[in-house]
Amino acid sequence: MSVTTTTPDRRRGFRLFALDMNEIGLIVILLLLYFGFGATTNGFLSANNHLSLLRDAASIAIAAWAVTLIIIAGEIDVSVGPMVAFTSVCLAFMLKADVNVALAILAALAIGGALGTFAGSLRAYFGVPSFVATLGLWSALRGMSFFTTNALPVTFPDNAFLDILADNIFGIPTSAIVMLVLFAIFSFVSQKTAYGRSIFAVGGNANAAELCGINVARIRVLIFTTSGVMAALAGVLLTARLGSGNAGTASGLEFDVIAAVVIGGTALSGGRGSMLGTLLGVFVITLIGNGLVLRGINPFFQEVVRGVIIVAAVLANILVTRYRERRIFGA
Amino acid sequence: MQTARQQDPQTLVAAVRGATKHYPGVLALDDVDFEIRRGEVRALLGKNGAGKSTLIRLLTGATLPDSGEVTIDGAALTGSGTQRTVEAARLGVSAVYQELSLIVGMSIAENLFLGRWPSSMGVLSHGDMEHQARETLARLGLKLDPRRRVATLSPAERQLVEIARVMIGEPKLVILDEPTSSLAAAEVELLFNAVRSLAAAGIAVIYVSHRMSEIRQIAEAATVMRDGKVAGTVELAGADTAEIIRLMLGRSGQEDRLVGAARGGATVLSVRDLAVPPKLAGVSFDLKCGEVLGFAGLLGSGRTELLRAIGGLDGVRAGTVLLGDKDITRGSYGERVKSGIGMTPESRKEDGIMPLLGVNENTVATDFSKVAVNGVISASRMAEAAGDIIRRIGIKTARIDTPVGTLSGGNQQKVVIGRWVYAGSRILLLDEPTRGVDVEAKSQIYAIIRQLAAEGKSIIFVSSEIEELPKVCDRVLVLKDGNFVQEFSAPGIETDALMAACL
Repeated sequence: MSVTTTTPDRRRGFRLFALDMNEIGLIVILLLLYFGFGATTNGFLSANNHLSLLRDAASIAIAAWAVTLIIIAGEIDVSVGPMVAFTSVCLAFMLKADVNVALAILAALAIGGALGTFAGSLRAYFGVPSFVATLGLWSALRGMSFFTTNALPVTFPDNAFLDILADNIFGIPTSAIVMLVLFAIFSFVSQKTAYGRSIFAVGGNANAAELCGINVARIRVLIFTTSGVMAALAGVLLTARLGSGNAGTASGLEFDVIAAVVIGGTALSGGRGSMLGTLLGVFVITLIGNGLVLRGINPFFQEVVRGVIIVAAVLANILVTRYRERRIFGA
Repeated sequence: MQTARQQDPQTLVAAVRGATKHYPGVLALDDVDFEIRRGEVRALLGKNGAGKSTLIRLLTGATLPDSGEVTIDGAALTGSGTQRTVEAARLGVSAVYQELSLIVGMSIAENLFLGRWPSSMGVLSHGDMEHQARETLARLGLKLDPRRRVATLSPAERQLVEIARVMIGEPKLVILDEPTSSLAAAEVELLFNAVRSLAAAGIAVIYVSHRMSEIRQIAEAATVMRDGKVAGTVELAGADTAEIIRLMLGRSGQEDRLVGAARGGATVLSVRDLAVPPKLAGVSFDLKCGEVLGFAGLLGSGRTELLRAIGGLDGVRAGTVLLGDKDITRGSYGERVKSGIGMTPESRKEDGIMPLLGVNENTVATDFSKVAVNGVISASRMAEAAGDIIRRIGIKTARIDTPVGTLSGGNQQKVVIGRWVYAGSRILLLDEPTRGVDVEAKSQIYAIIRQLAAEGKSIIFVSSEIEELPKVCDRVLVLKDGNFVQEFSAPGIETDALMAACL
């Protein structure tokens, strides 16, 4: 073929970190929050508070990794909080009945995975909007947790393995280590595997992905399976930390998770997003929560501040995106 | 050719005089005159890009001419921008376009009065609305209950409701753009009755269509456009179809190199008696190795439906699709992809590209496993594979990972074709691959298709631009009323003859 072409570059120009505008903006916000609270709030910079920050971050982040994939695919999962509570209650019941701890944890993860798969199948094969499918789970799982426990904590005998999960390794909370390992895995999967890239393809244009031969339905099921497993894992870590299964735990967690993902620059319309963004979003939410508590702000008013900051961050994200699209697409 | 029509100014509904319109790089209208009288049904013909739509946009006020004048019902349009559209509408111009604009969840009556529902003191008066709707439907000779939801209507009935909606505004000129393209043959009569009622009420109708048999039934005269000019207005009673085709195509001669004699290869795909009601009734054909087979046919002749049925995207009522000697009729699209069939959709934006992903990922999306090592996508392999396609197909992109949404239409289309070349498909189903791309990209796409055929791939090429088929195809089948009516083989596929077979 005698068509001449400019030889395309093999790689983007040399860049130390492939950060985009949104991520740079988030890092600036994080630094401002960190040094702002650090300069004005007693105890914020203490070692203990740093560990507490990491633990708080982990409780949001582990579920947020999977929800990032879901939102990139153009779906939503609002069932995270009740899923955490339900698997935590299941785990506690099993431990109370002297089930082997490894087996019990695996069973809890399997329960989460199965429930997620159920919601994903409703979406993929029956066309139930994922918001509705997971809203159903949200209500049913929370109700089931309270129903089976009578709203009482489910206690179980001390367990050496769970103690490790609740404790620190080399001075770092185990849950934070789990969070970071999973961050590496999710970043890798989303960037470097067919499954990960197919998620971006489905979220960017599901029709085109289908015509490319990508099994869109299977992708849609799998992301919810993943989300269920991750919520269950968060449930396991929470149970270890609390030493009991609580039906009312992780209340409102789904909103923190979705807020973190969205602040991180993942588009609710799908097709665009990153794990790094979500990591930054998780820290923004955690820093705000922690700092406001330490400052002794009225807990009700904390919610107000959090709401304002979430909307402001997303608005900034939209404005940045609009600016970028105008530049790229020349619209 | 221009028949002398002495027009009584009293009966003129619309007139365009000396209108010229430039778009960047294109002279869309070149000193065009057009007139239409009360109660007249006028057919408007011309191939893609001949200037039909621009002329219609002049009449509806959507486009401002560079020079010249548009007069509706004796008053010249003076406004610009949306004001001009409002002005034209107020003077009585209404257009019904191909893509329906009804809200299917609402009733017929609510749709007829969309946005201007009759009300008193802020409360909608449903009784009033239904009464008026019933009257309007009756004027068109329609027996439809205005309380029915549009979702329960057939495509023809929906088209009629669109026309009825136009009637509410007491129009003087109604423009119907390919109104029968989405209708099955039996439904067309319903539409004709409605058009006749319009004309009987003194309303002028411009009827854009290329189905000669229909035009002859419904219109008295046809205005033929070519290259931005009115090539002629002919009385249909005295004109034969060949003459009209000559007007449409002109005598520009064919500059592009045509395809030589076809070689006989082994049959790779064989379709027998494929039926997909209501559009396809028992279609049969064979596709040979290394052959480019064109499907010609008017809008709505079932081209896309046939392609989707072959691709396994839509179910079929009867018939078989054989790939080699394997029956794949009931197989899914995914299975066909695995066995070497690739399809590029008609609508590149909606179904073709993933705009935010790079050229590289859009290319390898058809088979990630080819660029993965142990399940991990290798950046260097992906760059190599995509770079290879970019070079072979001649895709112009700044970087290998430039978001596809930022490329030109032609280059987007090349990516969509290139991904199947990458996947190693042996049979390509290309639905309107040159739609919305510029002239240069078109000839590049023709060259790509011929090159792929020379490499032994078999290609089905669907196009609504008749004159490009002889440039690409070894063989052309003409689809009409749900079946193939004629076959042409290279060399010597004549555009005129193709056009005649389609109309």
